[in-house]
Amino acid sequence: MLKGLVLAWALVWVWALVQGVVFQLRAPEKAFASMVSWFAPMPVVYVALHLLTPPDLGCLPERLLGGGAALSLLNGLAVLILLFLTGVLFYYHADRSITVRLLIEMARAPRQRMSLEEMQAVCGVEVLMHDRLHTMALNGFLEEHDGRYHLAPKGRIGGLAGTIARGVLAMKAL
Amino acid sequence: MKGLTLAAAAFVLLVLGSALALRVYRGNKEFKVFLSAFAGAVLGYAVAFPLTPPDLGVLPAGWLEPAASVDFANGLLILALVFHGFWCIAYFACLSPSMSVMVELRARGADGISATEALAMQGREEPVNLIFQRRLPKLIAGGYITQEGGTYRLLPPGERVAALGAFLKRLINADTPLVGSRPC
Repeated sequence: MLKGLVLAWALVWVWALVQGVVFQLRAPEKAFASMVSWFAPMPVVYVALHLLTPPDLGCLPERLLGGGAALSLLNGLAVLILLFLTGVLFYYHADRSITVRLLIEMARAPRQRMSLEEMQAVCGVEVLMHDRLHTMALNGFLEEHDGRYHLAPKGRIGGLAGTIARGVLAMKAL
Repeated sequence: MKGLTLAAAAFVLLVLGSALALRVYRGNKEFKVFLSAFAGAVLGYAVAFPLTPPDLGVLPAGWLEPAASVDFANGLLILALVFHGFWCIAYFACLSPSMSVMVELRARGADGISATEALAMQGREEPVNLIFQRRLPKLIAGGYITQEGGTYRLLPPGERVAALGAFLKRLINADTPLVGSRPC
């Protein structure tokens, strides 16, 4: 099982480095699609490496080896995908957090002070909602007709999932 | 496989426990509920692992991992990764303004929504947007900012978070130097 785990960690770091370079070269408008497309070869590379390399990868201690090769392969693949999804979520933490954005704007403000009006001008609901509506339309969740937004098929699934989650988890929605 | 099986059981209990706890929790620091549920799940996993047989009485011999330490760490890693995903998705589904729009549109059916109506949902007409009603008290209580007269001032902990956030934004090329060039 350890071999699969080591390969999964190594490959997710390779992907993170490549993705970091891609983002630096050109910030993509569709970040998730970019991350998925650059990650897509990784599971294939993982399976190939798992099949072609020795069980100890030339360096793993003997006492930690053993177990079924198929189980190691599948477990490592699951870990690779989970690590990728965690990386995607961290991207969105950094990119989308309203709180972090607000603190950054305050750090850049004269004497690190802002009035409520200034905060609402840079991070307020108008700035936020125009961005979110645009992004959801761009990513196929919403369709715009005659100045009104409607749910696209992908958005209907999202809306259903949100309704169920809000019913189950009972958190106070914004 | 024992680690994975126990991690799956711990995760199911974590989800049920946090859903139940959120129903009775009255504060607005839901992250404490999630972290407490995770801590409980990790504790349960760590206690159950040494106390149960390697095959849990049901696992086939071919599915067993001979190195118990690897099995334990693997289960813990997967529990942590799946919990992180659950936590993020729960916050997104319940608190995200984008999700609020999709949920509202689902309720409205064919009527759709205009940008103005979407803005009204977020309390644009109120003196303090809903976005700030929720966040400012938390930032003040956490010691990240302080309110002085009519303005808010950044405190050292907030400065550190801002520096880390700016660094992460530079890493993903989402940094914006000044106001208005990129939305939140």
